Amino acid sequence: MSNRLFCALFACVLTASAQNVADLEKRITEFDLPNGLHFIVLERHTAPVFAGLSFVNAGAANDPAGKAGIAHMFEHMAFKGTPSIGSKNYAAEKLALDALEKTYDQLEEERRKGPRADQAKITKLEAGLKGDIDKTFGLVDQDAFTRMVEENGAVGLNAGTSMDSTTYFMSLPANRLEMWFMLESDRFITPVFREFYKERGVVRNEYAMRIESDPQGQLVTALMNTAFADSPYHIGYAGIPSDIDNLRVGDALAFRKTYYVPSNITIVVAGDVDPKEVRALATKYFGPMPAGPLPPPIITKEQEQRGEKRVAIETDAQPMLAIGYKRPDALHADDPVFDIISGILSQGRTGRLYKDLVEDKKLALGAAAYATFPGGKQDNIYIVFAVPNSGKTIDELEKATYDILEKLKKEPVDDATLKRVKINVRAGLIRGLNSNIGMANALAAAHVGYGSWKKLYSQLDELEKITAADVQRVAKTYFTAKGRTVAYMSKSSQEAK
Amino acid sequence: MFRNLILISLAVTLAFGQAKPKPAAKGAPAAVKGTGMAAKYKNLVFPPLRDVEIPNVDKFTLPNGMRVYLLENHELPLISGRALVRVGNLFDPKDKAGLADLTGNLIRSGGTKSKTQEQLNEALEGVAGSVESSIGETSGSVSFSALAESTDQVMGLFAEVLTAPAFRADKVDNAKIRERSGISRRNDDAGDIAGREFTRILYGKDTPYGMQQEYATIDAVKREDMVAFYDRHFFPANIMLSVYGDFKTAEMKAKLEKLFANWTVKRDPVPVMPKVSESAKPGINYVEKTDVTQTFIRIGHLGGKLNDKDYPALEVMSAILGGGFPSRLVRKVRSEMGAAYSIYSSWGANYDHPGTFSIGGSVESKSTIEALSAIQEEVSKLRNLEVTDQELSTAKNTALNSFVFNFDSPAKTLGRMVAYEYWGYPADFLLEYKKAIEKVSKADVLRVAKQYVKPENFTVVAVGDQKKFGGKDFSSLGMKVEKLDIAIPQPKQDKAKTDVGSVAKGRQLLDKAVASVGGQASLDGLKDYIQSVDAKMANGMSVTQKNSWAAPGVLRQDVTLPFGRIVTFFDGQQGWMKAPQGEQPIPAAMVGQIQQQLFAELLNLLRSNQVPGRTVNYAGNGTIEVSEGPLAASLVVDEATGLPQKSIMQVVGPQGPMATEVQFSDYRDIGGGLKFPFKSVVLQAGQKSNEQTVTEMKANTGLKSEDLSKKP
Repeated sequence: MSNRLFCALFACVLTASAQNVADLEKRITEFDLPNGLHFIVLERHTAPVFAGLSFVNAGAANDPAGKAGIAHMFEHMAFKGTPSIGSKNYAAEKLALDALEKTYDQLEEERRKGPRADQAKITKLEAGLKGDIDKTFGLVDQDAFTRMVEENGAVGLNAGTSMDSTTYFMSLPANRLEMWFMLESDRFITPVFREFYKERGVVRNEYAMRIESDPQGQLVTALMNTAFADSPYHIGYAGIPSDIDNLRVGDALAFRKTYYVPSNITIVVAGDVDPKEVRALATKYFGPMPAGPLPPPIITKEQEQRGEKRVAIETDAQPMLAIGYKRPDALHADDPVFDIISGILSQGRTGRLYKDLVEDKKLALGAAAYATFPGGKQDNIYIVFAVPNSGKTIDELEKATYDILEKLKKEPVDDATLKRVKINVRAGLIRGLNSNIGMANALAAAHVGYGSWKKLYSQLDELEKITAADVQRVAKTYFTAKGRTVAYMSKSSQEAK
Repeated sequence: MFRNLILISLAVTLAFGQAKPKPAAKGAPAAVKGTGMAAKYKNLVFPPLRDVEIPNVDKFTLPNGMRVYLLENHELPLISGRALVRVGNLFDPKDKAGLADLTGNLIRSGGTKSKTQEQLNEALEGVAGSVESSIGETSGSVSFSALAESTDQVMGLFAEVLTAPAFRADKVDNAKIRERSGISRRNDDAGDIAGREFTRILYGKDTPYGMQQEYATIDAVKREDMVAFYDRHFFPANIMLSVYGDFKTAEMKAKLEKLFANWTVKRDPVPVMPKVSESAKPGINYVEKTDVTQTFIRIGHLGGKLNDKDYPALEVMSAILGGGFPSRLVRKVRSEMGAAYSIYSSWGANYDHPGTFSIGGSVESKSTIEALSAIQEEVSKLRNLEVTDQELSTAKNTALNSFVFNFDSPAKTLGRMVAYEYWGYPADFLLEYKKAIEKVSKADVLRVAKQYVKPENFTVVAVGDQKKFGGKDFSSLGMKVEKLDIAIPQPKQDKAKTDVGSVAKGRQLLDKAVASVGGQASLDGLKDYIQSVDAKMANGMSVTQKNSWAAPGVLRQDVTLPFGRIVTFFDGQQGWMKAPQGEQPIPAAMVGQIQQQLFAELLNLLRSNQVPGRTVNYAGNGTIEVSEGPLAASLVVDEATGLPQKSIMQVVGPQGPMATEVQFSDYRDIGGGLKFPFKSVVLQAGQKSNEQTVTEMKANTGLKSEDLSKKP
């Protein structure tokens, strides 16, 4: 793990020079279909390729109680095909899938009886369920969807679930535009949840790999679990293992019905495309998607924190430290100030965390700050993440980190630093313009988060107005012991002498 | 702000996708294939893809021999460049593994002759630019990135970093601390362990391809080693410089000629990279790690080179076995068994030496043995039966239809050209590769699977917890099993163990040292001395100093500098300092440091057997450790003659503890039967700081301590 990794992680998407903005404005078109689905088209004719990205305004934070992990599970299922893609015989498959669900219902019903349940019946139903799963599996044309897009030259075929949203994306040769529309609309309009209970094992294994078997995953999960008491952010991205193990097709259907409605989805096509053609294809393929009501927002708000919280993780791994401070959501007026503070703290090699902890005091192997974690739609936390050098303790590192934050409160940041942070944010956006997929994501996130992709650029004006006094005020307001959560891991190791 | 954490979070987001980057991509025909699809997909007709524009790269050689590759592109107001250097950690000496890595890091982080790292940081980031340096296995680079408006400023700094790095001592120290921290953390991630141990076993742990840095090898790397390593490899004729972005070619050419006009260093060509010794190491290597719920595995043997004639067929073979969703391993272990999230295979090939053929991933602990047998079975099937038509066409179409992405950014063309020339590959290598992929048949796949995949030679590394395997063990797999020890070798302790024997030996050796310079009586007889010393600093500056000493430990030093004289007096507990600017008592904070320095003086250390309360301990290799309260130093003597060779002590400076070493030579008589070294070389943190020559020395002149305290 090198310090450069941490430097690189501060990638901010804000704004570019006026010339680039004007140029971009000319290359972007937007439209809504009658069912409410929003499209953004970015023309970029550098090479005969394009990126397609579907942004669903729902993520892990929308997981219902007892179903932690369903948003992520749903994301996996979106690669399993449709009636026409992925089946050897859909009529037979449909019957087998329904039968499977019926057996599973009976099994759950019996299990619910608890101590009074008939064990013999359970054993029988379990065997029956296994048989049903095998039967459906025999009717599947495995990986038909992914095989099809990959055979057609897709690269970067992927999807991701965050707390606030779920995105599906890939890049394709430009002549595959219609094919992409066909497949993308098909999986959104008529998904088939085949291989659900096998994929559930894959999702559970992803949890094992990313959280259970990864010290950093454990640390960040503990930070979220501890910092948030009421907010849905307290569970984290990956769900809860026991919930995952019991997810059902019905849960995925219910989630889809609520959140995968056209008005809750934004699609961006970026690259060597003709906006008129995109519009025609969008109308043809996504027009038939039935409209639905806007999903209900999350109403649960995190209550005010009344004192510092700490959590220690026992692990064999070397120590790491994560400190979070409660902060308001991304629509709050102080939001851009937090971004400036992140620049001051962890921009490149001049950021104070690197300069002070890594270079001057030699306490840390690396350190970085993130303005918004784990999502921006709800009140969240500002986090500082640091990895101590061998022989240095979490205590020393924590204290030195507080000294840096205290300095933000006590001394106004100098003009040169403020200027440097702002120019780097601007340059970051110009650099981002280099990638179809990166731009597609930034445009969708700005549209959904702030109401317009133009916020990407208008944000620069807000940013330019931020003063040293703003930084000082925000640091004083939020970087308090009362709103703080500290997560760390430690072990008494011989290396850390 | 709202941020999509998928792209930027702390690696905890859930990206659903392939566990491995796919092989370099390749292009071609249309028509969706496969089964079970509705007619509308089959009937979809793809318009022809417009031709990609392959940009024209300007190539030339500067008068100093540096090869340059320029590619203009005005899409965005950005510019970037990279000096590719023929160097690599394969050139690390075995006992200094980590030398290349440290050198690569310090070229940038150690500052330049005219600027500290901090000054570079401010200057670069003030204009949103960057310059970074690194050395990897088979190449090194110094690269830059800038907004077009600050091209001159950033490129000036880039050239300075490339041609005049300073390897400043404090940053050397810092980089070594971080290397050590990295070593201490290398067993935290099970996936990292599996990949690392697999590679090391295949190439051989003692070979340049398989060795790794340890505390001892990092400690052994000195600043001079890095300077020498840089000096040997960083010269114009050994560099390929590519620049991409928003500039005018003619102007850039003129700019580069000017920028590097004075850099005319010439060196012999660097040696060729070492060869890989190929020998099979079959068997299962089990690493026990109890804090995981999966088993992280790697299976395979050495692979081949990119220009092997069968490489294209091997790529197709590997794609069918485990190159993405439609592959056999993903289907079997992930989709069918639901036992893994990540599972893949890859035919590893490098430009100049064999890569590794590997099957890898992480499987739930309880399914470890089943997954391993499933993998064995899939490998066996691959070697005994032809693949299906659909598998072949999927693999080939995936490669060929995504071929256009090799050209989706002009920068890729530039990067490829430089890489091909670096390795001596033909310019049309990629196009020939594409043609070869088109020709691969089912028979070819079977032939290369039989010829190149050798299950009997498989090395398996499994990192996990055998107790969670559900009662099963490796024995069913029919392979030799060995438990792999990955414990990190601890560094040599700073202090040797003290026991009766080592103390006796220390005192004995110290007596011998005393005898070698004239004996105890002569030493005890020394009541004072005056010496004149010429000290030559590393920066070339010379100073003359007069040192006067009187028993029991009063010292005065008169130093003549170009701007005047500085006199320091110290009586063991306190003192003063007088300079042209004025006079001041020695600050309390400095007293400890001065005491430590005087403690490490040769004559003081030699006297240790006569001083009550001092510990004298033998630490091996002629080293005598001496300590008294908080003061400590070592004296290294020639065990045969007893003659002191050097003293070593730790000084805590502003950058943390630092070793100061004084090497003695040129012993001469100073009267009273006593010999004293007339030459001393002082090293700080392994870096030569100054050289002192005694020009005159008189013992027992009758000097009194009150004479010394007189202010000038």
